Amino acid sequence: MQEINHTGSRTTRLLGAAVIVGLVALVLLGWFVAPEDDDQQDAVRMIFVHVPSAIWTYIAFVTTAIGSVMWLVRRSVWWDTVAAAAAEIGVLFCGLTLFTGSVWGRPTWNTYWDWGDVRLVTTLILFLMMIGYLSVRSLGGPESATATRAAIVGVMAAAILPIVNRSVEWWENNTLHQKSSLTDGNLEDMTLFTLVVGLIVWGLFFWWAILHRFRIAWLEREIRSSDLDRALVERRAEGEPGASPLEERV
Amino acid sequence: MTDTLAPQEPRAGRRRSRRWLPALIAVGVVVAVVVLVWNLLTGALFFYNADEAVAERSELGDDRFTLQGTPVGCSITSGSQGDEVVTAFTVTFGGVMVDVVHRGEPAELFEGGTPVVLDGSWVEGQPGVTGFEPLADDGWYYSSDRMRVKHDNDYINDDEYDDRLAESETQGDTAAEVCAR
Repeated sequence: MQEINHTGSRTTRLLGAAVIVGLVALVLLGWFVAPEDDDQQDAVRMIFVHVPSAIWTYIAFVTTAIGSVMWLVRRSVWWDTVAAAAAEIGVLFCGLTLFTGSVWGRPTWNTYWDWGDVRLVTTLILFLMMIGYLSVRSLGGPESATATRAAIVGVMAAAILPIVNRSVEWWENNTLHQKSSLTDGNLEDMTLFTLVVGLIVWGLFFWWAILHRFRIAWLEREIRSSDLDRALVERRAEGEPGASPLEERV
Repeated sequence: MTDTLAPQEPRAGRRRSRRWLPALIAVGVVVAVVVLVWNLLTGALFFYNADEAVAERSELGDDRFTLQGTPVGCSITSGSQGDEVVTAFTVTFGGVMVDVVHRGEPAELFEGGTPVVLDGSWVEGQPGVTGFEPLADDGWYYSSDRMRVKHDNDYINDDEYDDRLAESETQGDTAAEVCAR
């Protein structure tokens, strides 16, 4: 039997190759083809990373919420594993969103961060809640109880997603952050095109990463489960009169 | 060491102490979320648009508050107030103008027609900044020490950007009209 020591497949290899090609295209488009902004100059190029990261953060955390609900309702281990995988990638994207937004904010808003800004702070709360989700997952204890606790945090975090997304509309007087660039913005054609390329590339990366992370988590579960089975067999074997090491030594 | 079949108590050590780390992170996260929500509920950034700030001037008194308005391009003046180098300008919102004296470096993208968010308070009297002609000239000015630019979601590359901005923004229209006068 062939030994498999990786989580790759034909699909993930194709996705991985597409991500590499897409990233090269995105860098070329972002740096050399998309025009600089009259006002922000080169700082505008940050949206090619910032906006896709933000949108895929939403998608990742919605996936976590769906997986969490499926665990709570149906006790689906498959969905629980999907939820955990999506949360890890979502945290990565959310961190990237906060970082790129902050770097963009300095030359544009004249500040890296504003603690009173609703969009910024609700995004940070979302980020911290999902770190909390991952912390709860690694607390240990019975797997079922851990999954349930994490699922509750996952659903609670998803509940604030609409607030994060709509904050720039609902609290216009409490946010420096502009309204949606993609739906309400006025973008140059090449800026919009590059932004869409960024969304696609980030999406491909999301699916590539979630497939690998899911498979790793699934294999970890299998190992833990087989370890438990083996331990049970060994303990039962020890209970057999002729198999006792103590008796053997005597 | 003697071999034994009796169940062993897990050894206290790294593995055990590590289980506290996620618990500690989880508690830290809960505390951070509560603090941040409280911070939001107290409305730390809530800003008054220029027209609201003028309407509520008596209630605001000399309290520190945040003001938003669109700078009138032709009013922007670098000058001095006493011994201090300042930037003086007039902002407008909802057809109401406010004279501003800003201490410290203006934001990189500070320019006429692009809204700014300022931290400071009302001061009764004339700005008295050399070279500055206050457009509001109502016996009050806003003394600011922190400036942020409230950028919109337009990403434009155009030689006639200023014209397009003026066309697309109501406040830009007002500012342009003031300067034309």
